[in-house]
Amino acid sequence: MSIVLVGINHRTAPVEVRELLAFNDEACANGLRRLVDGEVLQEGLIVSTCNRVEILSATASDKLEFSTHRLAQFLDHQRRLPADFLKTHSYQHIDEQAVRHLFRVASSLDSMVVGEPQVLGQVRHAYAIAVEAGTAGRVLNRLIHHTFRVAKRVRSETGIAANAVSISYMAVELGKKIFESLKGRTVMLIGAGEMAELSARHLVNAGASRVIITNRTETTAQELADEFGGETVPFSQFPEFLGEADVIICSTGADHFVVTERMTREALDSRRNKPTCLIDISVPRNIEPSTGHLPNVFLFDIDDLESVITSNIREREREAERAELIVQSEVMQFQQSLRLMDAGPTIGALRQKLQDMARTELQRQRKRLGQLTPEQENAIEQLLISTVNKISHPVIDQMRRFYESSEAEESSASTDPGNGEEL
Amino acid sequence: MRSLLLAVLAAYLIAAIHSILAFVNKRRALQSVAEWSMAAGFLLHTVALIADWVIDGHYPLFFLRETLSFLAWALVAVYAIVLIRYRAQALGAFTMPLISILTFVALLDPGTQNAPAPFSATWLFPVHTTLLIFAYAAFFVVFVASIMYLLQERELKLKTFSAIFHRLPPLSTVNELATSAAAIGLTLLTIGIATGMVWSSSRDGKIWHNDPKEIFAVLTWLLYFSLILYRSTSNWRGRNAAWLGVVGFALVLCTFFGTRLLGGYHVFG
Repeated sequence: MSIVLVGINHRTAPVEVRELLAFNDEACANGLRRLVDGEVLQEGLIVSTCNRVEILSATASDKLEFSTHRLAQFLDHQRRLPADFLKTHSYQHIDEQAVRHLFRVASSLDSMVVGEPQVLGQVRHAYAIAVEAGTAGRVLNRLIHHTFRVAKRVRSETGIAANAVSISYMAVELGKKIFESLKGRTVMLIGAGEMAELSARHLVNAGASRVIITNRTETTAQELADEFGGETVPFSQFPEFLGEADVIICSTGADHFVVTERMTREALDSRRNKPTCLIDISVPRNIEPSTGHLPNVFLFDIDDLESVITSNIREREREAERAELIVQSEVMQFQQSLRLMDAGPTIGALRQKLQDMARTELQRQRKRLGQLTPEQENAIEQLLISTVNKISHPVIDQMRRFYESSEAEESSASTDPGNGEEL
Repeated sequence: MRSLLLAVLAAYLIAAIHSILAFVNKRRALQSVAEWSMAAGFLLHTVALIADWVIDGHYPLFFLRETLSFLAWALVAVYAIVLIRYRAQALGAFTMPLISILTFVALLDPGTQNAPAPFSATWLFPVHTTLLIFAYAAFFVVFVASIMYLLQERELKLKTFSAIFHRLPPLSTVNELATSAAAIGLTLLTIGIATGMVWSSSRDGKIWHNDPKEIFAVLTWLLYFSLILYRSTSNWRGRNAAWLGVVGFALVLCTFFGTRLLGGYHVFG
């Protein structure tokens, strides 16, 4: 069996091209049913996200050329694309390359931001659709399950998803670095902007139990408080509450320092010098920069966050190099298991055939043997079969080893893979 | 006993290498290798110490060789407790190499093997020395945790995170670790000094001999006492307390080696 993959992604095609090809769930299922004819293309799967469309298919190795043509044709028909469209924007991978590509996509090594976890869920979803549509067979089942395993391995053994790469998530990362866990921590939002809201949401998801919100327009603060089950304090009185907060996110539109060093010092006294994480995402800055020099105060402004994010992305890319090694070894493993899957039925069929020959021979010569008890007859048959097995064993063993060795590809295609299906 | 101690050293070395690799690569598999070989080493080490005790007929904490070996053993025990309580694996990357070195040096010194103790000791003496060894081990944990705190605090203030930053345990964890280790160390030190005084008074009627080890011990005691006092009144959190933890360990080293360099009542072995 061969695996073929045709696709476009955010690197090969701009959004106006990708949107032409995007499939929704229903189009996915219908398309798959039409695409997989059981003859040329035996199995199929479509991964369609905002950044990519990948069509994956399993096909008989001798019909490989025909199948890539069919896939391209399918895409053309699907969306009535301009001529040469696919040639310029799509890529095409076969067998080992296709497997590697899928592993990389699912492990988020091919993503816009390396290590973002959503894509694995999208592959899982695509697989569910293919299963529903009945187009996932033994090759794709095996491939997809292997893919999930690779993605999990990459995630747990490398740090590609370890460090925050978005401003809103930085608050969580810094909080965890300073407080170990955000469970039971208090968060204070000064100003109820969108970014502050997003950060607060991450913090609450990470376990922060109390949210204090203050805003010049109190109704906005109230709306946000309702959403998080938080509490509001009047903007004029917020300095009194500073001491209660472990993480403070400041994002007002003010053009002066809303939180001053003096305020923070007082807050620090009231919380007995426990560490405080201050995040200032407003421009112009709303927290007096000298606040950051106070002991046990950790102040980050927007530039600090950006520079940490840049270094985090670099760290992820370093980790991605290690992930590539994992992918490489897993690709080899998968190819090996696929080859065995091809070889298994062929070898089984050969052995069966030899045994059948032995039985036929016995039938032909049976009369000459005269009267025999059933035990004797049975013993003769066993004798023949075990002799055949013993004689053929070295050959079959050799074959199996040959399949396992990396040069087996060609020969497995020629030893009648069509028969393999039925046995 | 040497061959047994060699096996112990081998186990500790494996643990040290894997701890460092786990620290660099963040691989769970490596960490578990480190922990298992450390456990095996600790078990063998315990057997070796008991065998020493039985064969030599005195508590195996007297000569330099024995002291170093015992200190390594105590450090493993303390690190194991930290590991169970705080999961602060990063500590292993610093502690296990030191433990290996101590074991190695203990192996290098064949001098006083099987020699009888120069004076008969009552049960108070082993208690005195054991408590102090464990106090030193606890102060070492304070030291490493304080260094980890200072490194991270500095990077948080400078807003540039190095690769090592992401591999160290969070600030609050190392802070708490340093605080409790200091409290435990101080308690052990207090009882250790007290038993020493009782033992010495029963021996020659004096509880104070004005020798360097005693003076350093008292200074150490004062420093860690103020560290804990400051922490509990909360004026000195974080950075300052961490610096005290580092300076304190320098005093601990003086106490430990003070005798050998300056002489005095505490010289033996």
